Amino acid sequence: MSDKQAHIIYDKEGKPSKDAPWIFRTYAGHTNVRKSNELYRSNLAKGQTGLSIAFDLATQCGYSSNEDIAKPEIGKVGVPINTLDDFAILFDQIAIDVVNTSMTINGTSMWLLSLYVALAEERGIDLAKLQGTTQNDLIKEFLARGTYVFPPDQSIKLIVDMYEYCLRKIPKWNPSNVCSYHLQEAGATPVQELAYSLVTAITVLDAIRERKCFNEAEFEQCVGRVSFFVNAGMRFIEEMCKMRAFTELWDEICQQRYGVKNPKYRLFRYGVQVNSLGLTEEQPENNAWRILIEALGVTLSRDARCRALQLPAWNEALSLPRPWDQQWSLRLQQILAYETDLLEYPDLFAGSPVVQSKVEELKAQARAEIQKILDAGGGVEAIKTGYMKSQLVISQAERMAKINTGEQVVVGKNRWMDGLASPLVGGNDGGVFKVDPESANETVHALEETIRKRDAAKVKACLDKLREDAKAGHNLMEASIACAHARVSTGEWSGVLREVFGEYRPPTGVEGQTLSLENEKLQQVRAKVQQFMDQFGHRPRIVVGKPGLDGHSNGAEMISVAARHAGFDVIYFGIRLSAVDIVQSAIEENVDVIGISLLSGSHNEIIAQLMNELEQEGARDAIPVVLGGIIPQNDIPGLTALGIRAVFTPKDYDLMDIMNKIMDIVLEHKAHG
Amino acid sequence: MPTPLTPLVDQPLAPELLQQLQQASALKKWPLAKLISLFENKNPDAAQIRHDIARHIQQHPQDFPRNARVIGFTGTPGAGKSSLIAELCRKLLTLNDQIAIAVLAVDPSSQISGGSILGDRTRMHYGKKEERLFFRSQASNLELGGVSEATFQATRLLRHLFDLIIIETVGIGQNEVDIQFLTDHTFLVMQPLAGDQIQFMKSGIMEIPDSFIVNKCDEERLARTSYHMLRSSLKQARLVDLHAQDNYQNAARDQIFLTSALKGLGIDTLANAVLNIPQRRTAEHCESCYLRKGVLRRYGEFGLKILKHEMNLLDTATTFEEKEVAAFATIQRHIIPRQ
Ligand code: B12
Ligand SMILES: Nc1nc2c(ncn2[C@@H]2O[C@H](COP(=O)(O)OP(=O)(O)OP(=O)(O)O)[C@@H](O)[C@H]2O)c(=O)[nH]1
Ligand SMILES: [Mg+2]
Repeated sequence: MSDKQAHIIYDKEGKPSKDAPWIFRTYAGHTNVRKSNELYRSNLAKGQTGLSIAFDLATQCGYSSNEDIAKPEIGKVGVPINTLDDFAILFDQIAIDVVNTSMTINGTSMWLLSLYVALAEERGIDLAKLQGTTQNDLIKEFLARGTYVFPPDQSIKLIVDMYEYCLRKIPKWNPSNVCSYHLQEAGATPVQELAYSLVTAITVLDAIRERKCFNEAEFEQCVGRVSFFVNAGMRFIEEMCKMRAFTELWDEICQQRYGVKNPKYRLFRYGVQVNSLGLTEEQPENNAWRILIEALGVTLSRDARCRALQLPAWNEALSLPRPWDQQWSLRLQQILAYETDLLEYPDLFAGSPVVQSKVEELKAQARAEIQKILDAGGGVEAIKTGYMKSQLVISQAERMAKINTGEQVVVGKNRWMDGLASPLVGGNDGGVFKVDPESANETVHALEETIRKRDAAKVKACLDKLREDAKAGHNLMEASIACAHARVSTGEWSGVLREVFGEYRPPTGVEGQTLSLENEKLQQVRAKVQQFMDQFGHRPRIVVGKPGLDGHSNGAEMISVAARHAGFDVIYFGIRLSAVDIVQSAIEENVDVIGISLLSGSHNEIIAQLMNELEQEGARDAIPVVLGGIIPQNDIPGLTALGIRAVFTPKDYDLMDIMNKIMDIVLEHKAHG
Repeated sequence: MPTPLTPLVDQPLAPELLQQLQQASALKKWPLAKLISLFENKNPDAAQIRHDIARHIQQHPQDFPRNARVIGFTGTPGAGKSSLIAELCRKLLTLNDQIAIAVLAVDPSSQISGGSILGDRTRMHYGKKEERLFFRSQASNLELGGVSEATFQATRLLRHLFDLIIIETVGIGQNEVDIQFLTDHTFLVMQPLAGDQIQFMKSGIMEIPDSFIVNKCDEERLARTSYHMLRSSLKQARLVDLHAQDNYQNAARDQIFLTSALKGLGIDTLANAVLNIPQRRTAEHCESCYLRKGVLRRYGEFGLKILKHEMNLLDTATTFEEKEVAAFATIQRHIIPRQ
């Protein structure tokens, strides 16, 4: 009998073996249910085992496609879902008792799960067979992602309702998925990512425990259902250490805080989407390498390897990926898993003093931060006070400042900027994906049909029951499933609960924030500000506005902080405002310039609304408007024709260049107006 | 040596400004916003325009029937001032279908760049157009005192156009004293059980408020304990006679309001109290306070002393601008011969 060798993986019988690869995921959904269904079926036919569904922003924020606020967004960044009839088409010819369905849905997750359950019931499928995940992490929505619907306390209540229901009825469903992915995208450092997501898990589990609806064994099972969705950035060694720290801290929390005995229920189960914030518009082909390196951080080390991996595409900073772009990223995973020997070795870093020391450092810092938040009242309180959010803004501002000064090198952006033109963007479509604007009609039409056919009295009765249950504090799953069967719409379900629970705007985190950036360009812009003040007797005033349902706040936050640093008085009041809100504020505040930030792809529609609103108020030519965000080059002439004075995109990363341009526009406008 | 102010001339209001003023008095937001900017304007030539506008209003009282009461909200940062003001306005607008309200919300300026991020609108967002409510953010412009000169200037105009002016000060806690020059009534907003009551006692800010609001009283129990704590501190400090029962409504009799902006509790009581606040300070009172502030800033205590002896010189001045010109000129005369 020979001894076992350290470099070989042995299976249960002691035979040398090899690991199975992680799950390859592709996040998909767009246009309408019919188109998305075709896409899913073709992906499944290609051997994909699970679905990862992207919903459009109206569905995510709880509006039906026939509402005004939804119109610019229908089918843009995901599939629109209004009623059970839509779900029937979305999953047409897809065996939902077999397939694993992951839904990126948060504010309205209870509703989408109810639709899924109702669909299974209509098809006569045993609910116990359903498997999948609703993302349903509302804390990170308030911090980073922006598709919350109800206030923090009620949001947590809905999550607990779902845990209670799922554990009993759909035991294979993950009612929520704790996300640190989005935190890193909002600027989080590794320690913040660790701390804030673990606080999130604690907040949810504490709330479940408080309800006392489970016995000890059930509660353990509940802890076991908590899974994570994590980010992995360019500093891939540190990221690997972060994953190990996650695993160890989670085990610690499960044992110490929740007394979980079964090791199976203490496993840190996680999926990954690699960092997209660092992917550039400049020399976009370089992103392919970045994605590869980021993937290594979460695959190299066996002890901290992800269970599922989702990769962005090379054209991340340009627009949504086209099918070919997604395929190229999928191939990366396949090559890594099947062509290399990665899966043949046990953990490569176990026992490394370097790795261990780094892991310990991360753990210690994360523990301290977690304790700080718990001492100050916990996760929900830290949302309400804005503590976590303001910390993220600080980190993002530091990151931006370092890129601006060149301290953090980004190849093609602040170093080696000269390069040959990329052939990748040379195609007819400019390398970007576009949703056919006509397709929204199909969605609205289908909703109208459903409304016409459904039993109105039954709809009313179901909504009344939902309202009553909400007021009484009951678990809302059953009432929601009944609504789903009755063909209630997404907007109606959310509307009733908004009425009972109210709405909430979280702190923006930008107040009082500074930028550590001192350079010549700053002096230039401050001189322009001074010139303006001498001439006009007040500081230049800017409204930074986020109209529509777009939740990408980083850009607006950084512009606000930069403008304050330059000497502007900045009016910024958060995301998800209407064009009317922004125009009203610009007028009441008598601003010198309006700055709009839009990344979700609805800029053409929303800028038209905004300019129209300005026109109606008689202020269209009086206040210059500039725009920033993900704006494809081809759209710029149209936007300029609407009256936009300048368009900034991710390649305009130098904040003081932007401020100088804005001051030039303001001064020039004043001189001619 | 500060330069003397340019003398003012009496002239009719420029037609364009007259039109703006008329529209503003019909609560049209855009012209109103522009006029406020003129009152906030720091350029010397803006004084003449303000003088013209003030004169016009004085001479046409029938065109400006409104005469606002001014209410201040001060208190610790994050106590919920903005949220509370938002709820209060919502309630006032429904309780009284005629009332027109202007809100001035002051946020701090950066010490380094002088710029600011004005975020009080985050809480005031209504999601629709509200004709009778006007909201304006102001930067503190590095002035101590919690409210800026611009706030004073804006109220000069707004008091003729609105029924109620609500001022939210910078939540710095310690330097909020200026607010009392401007308002008919000042509320101090605090959070329950934060121990900050004790802090306030020491800082002298307790002297300023006319009444107290403990916000974030989301539950009855919290409200009750907070009321007891505040009440006993007040009793010690001011030897006031406190007698009310400890619930949302009755506490108001002691000028302690218990509210939850989040749950809409105690807002009714507060709103009714606000509607009944009498006008206590005249515009002249505010103006002379700010005149003294201006003198103090330019000429120090010496200037104030002269001003006190030469008060009669201001008798003929009709507007704040005239008073400033007259006062500064007089003080200047006293200084120059000595050099
Ligand atoms: C970070 C990020 C996120 C974060 C956002 C965190 C946050 N709080 O902001 C998270 C992970 C939450 C997220 C979520 C989603 N995202 Co995203 N996200 C990004 C990403 C990677 C970077 C954006 C960013 O923050 N950059 C950093 C900031 C500082 O730069 P910036 O916003 O570009 O701003 C600069 C300039 O554009 C300009 N600027 C911007 N605004 C303004 C305003 C003014 C006045 C001025 C002067 C200048 C200016 O100046 C800034 C400084 O340089 C982009 C892709 C990319 N690499 O750009 C995708 C991207 C924007 N996301 C996308 C999508 C689809 C989503 C989702 C809708 C997915 C889904 N179906 O659920 C969700 C939902 C979000 C929501 N509620 O709307 C798409 C949008 C597709 C499109 N437009 O066609 C993109 C392009 C990715 C892609 N290729 O698919 N996302
Ligand atoms: N629980 C609870 N939270 C509240 C209440 N009122 C306000 N808040 C929260 O307290 C935080 C601060 O509220 P703001 O209204 O911005 O407070 P503020 O005093 O205007 O703050 P500054 O202007 O920054 O000084 C926000 O997160 C509010 O949601 C309340 O009655 N109950
Ligand atoms: Mg405030």
